[in-house]
Amino acid sequence: MRSRKINITPYFLVAPAFLIMLGVVFVPVAKAILMSFQNYDLRRPNSLKFIGIGNFIEIFHDPLFWDAFVRTLLWVGFGVGLQFLFGFILALILNQKFSGRGIVRAVSLIPWCTPGVLIGLMWRWIYDGNYGVLNDILIRLHIIDEKVPFLAQTNTAFPSVIATIVWQGIPFFALMILAGLQGVSQEMYEAADVDGASRFQKLFKITVPSIKNTIFITLLLRIIWVANSVDLIMNMTEGGPAYSTQTLSIYIFNKANVLNMGYAAAISLILTLMLSLAAVPYLRKRFKEEKV
Amino acid sequence: MKKLLAVLAVLALSISSLTGCGGSTKEESATPKETANAPAENNSADTKDAKSEEETASKETTLTYWYWADNSDYSNKMQEIVKEFNETNKSGITIKAEEQPWDGGAYSQNLFTAAMGGGGPDIATWKLTATPLFTANNLLAELDGYIEKWADKDDIDANLYNIMKQAGGSDKTYVMPWNTQVLYVYYRPSMFKEVGIEVPKTYEEFLTACEKLTRDTDGDGKIDVYGFGMRGAKGGQEPWGSFIHGRGGSFEDFTTDQAVKGMEDFMNLYKKGYVPPTAPADGFNEIIANFKSGRTAMTIHHTGSSAGMVETFGEDVAAFPFPKGDGQWTSMGDTENVIFEKCKDKEAAFEFVSYMAAGKGQQVWCETTGNVPVSKRVQAMPVFQDNKFMKASIEGVSYAGILPILDTTTEWVSTIWPNTISQALSGEITAKEAMETLQKELYK
Repeated sequence: MRSRKINITPYFLVAPAFLIMLGVVFVPVAKAILMSFQNYDLRRPNSLKFIGIGNFIEIFHDPLFWDAFVRTLLWVGFGVGLQFLFGFILALILNQKFSGRGIVRAVSLIPWCTPGVLIGLMWRWIYDGNYGVLNDILIRLHIIDEKVPFLAQTNTAFPSVIATIVWQGIPFFALMILAGLQGVSQEMYEAADVDGASRFQKLFKITVPSIKNTIFITLLLRIIWVANSVDLIMNMTEGGPAYSTQTLSIYIFNKANVLNMGYAAAISLILTLMLSLAAVPYLRKRFKEEKV
Repeated sequence: MKKLLAVLAVLALSISSLTGCGGSTKEESATPKETANAPAENNSADTKDAKSEEETASKETTLTYWYWADNSDYSNKMQEIVKEFNETNKSGITIKAEEQPWDGGAYSQNLFTAAMGGGGPDIATWKLTATPLFTANNLLAELDGYIEKWADKDDIDANLYNIMKQAGGSDKTYVMPWNTQVLYVYYRPSMFKEVGIEVPKTYEEFLTACEKLTRDTDGDGKIDVYGFGMRGAKGGQEPWGSFIHGRGGSFEDFTTDQAVKGMEDFMNLYKKGYVPPTAPADGFNEIIANFKSGRTAMTIHHTGSSAGMVETFGEDVAAFPFPKGDGQWTSMGDTENVIFEKCKDKEAAFEFVSYMAAGKGQQVWCETTGNVPVSKRVQAMPVFQDNKFMKASIEGVSYAGILPILDTTTEWVSTIWPNTISQALSGEITAKEAMETLQKELYK
């Protein structure tokens, strides 16, 4: 009978990374899951207790949660959708040869390089209803007669913050798609030209299929980031006015900020499950590819 | 197996080296203690001197102090006050003053998070509303013993000590008075003259003034001066309270007919266009900027902004207390100091907070900020008696108050009030519905 020989070197090498992950990811996640089943409200420390699915029942009867849920879908749908659309267009432009292309490529990255907090403050002043430059430009162009309090009205505040995150995220899509475009073989386009393919045919039959993996992973990453983002909305509207810009991540932040940690953890868990659903198609595709 | 042993050996070596570090530190700290005790048996004068020097040295304390400042001038002044205290106190106390943003009240939450995590300062600038949360978690030091022994105890009105006690929800004092800010109405005398009105004496006259001061001054058919600068964002509950009380309502029950009528007045100012259309999102910076730029003719704030107002307008800015209707109320903004339970030298910390309450720190800070001093001796100084903004503040003291301090107050102030008010202003809900929500959320 041969004794089983265990090679511990790989475990030893992986251990530091694993311990760090354990400390900064797994333990906090486990703690958050535990909190979501507790009445963990630090304002009332004497009534901390296990309440089972009490928080989740309360959430499902909470109209603010459902408002924030729908708003999160719109925030991600419009925010990421428009970023992708304009990012794709920008990438196609930047993939063309023209003089000063390097400078344009560098400048177009500025929104992505700017911290979210700064973007929030900057756009808050751009949208300002009294002294904002946007109102000034629109009045000079005779598009509006009166100044619009963009961030103070429920019907304009949410589109305004969506426009801001679109502005911020376009360069990321452009950058990723541009990298993908540069890997597409020119020979395919030349062959398509010989066959008399139109520009749209080349776009949808060659370009898009060639970079579909890049598009897929970029969309997935942005969906997760945008759904979780707090900095921009907090700095522009804090979720108001009248909760009109309150997404789930803002609602979580507001609840955690007033120390209702159990309730915030329960909503966080729901948001995590929502985002996991978005990742499922990607994971299934990867597993299929690995099997092949 | 050999590899496993090698790994274990490396780990054991790492742990033993860590233990070695700990051991040497222990020895180092023990040595001076022994030296300090040795001369105690000797009664010679030289030895006494050496002992007292060593005691002073051993008493040297560094304490961390968190504060917020409304502008860079106040920030510099605080650093000067602390520097002077550090240089003049005879107890070897060094205060390390660290400025933190007020951030519409997020300061208290940040302070709580830091304290619960085992960090945060030894002493901090304070708002009474935060007290129940901190005392419920045993984070604050009880001050009664120190106040009893304090020579200047009676320089502060006994009523203020009582308010401090009420805030903690017990008969113990956890909060040291420092200064107050009583809200009043800023106005532009030149604008009042232009529309031919006097300073309002009643609540009704105030509402009428808001209407009359709203004007198109350049004849282009658009309003360019609004009667009142409404604060609809966080912090706006303070001026809003004056409207609720103006109709005879109170914070005990927001759903009474009087309170709802006060809310309707508040909403009408927005709906009728007597306040800027940005009002639902306007916070402190916006109402001050609008007043200073001449976009609004009146706004409500305290003496903390008076220096900036005078710098902008010179003589063309004045103040009056919020006028009386069926009731009268204005918000007493309070600022105190607290000592944390974790502070290792509470006596030294108390020496600093008492310097701020009745010493030079009190005088210099109140002179700079224009806040109402809590020290009777400082209140009596001509510099405070002759100031028109201070006068409006002092007139308001008799009916000034604070929001009920409950464990729900922080959430109510930071998210419930601003969002419910903007729902009402935008017409999504009625005044009565808004007041029912505010009642339910504050007293849940």
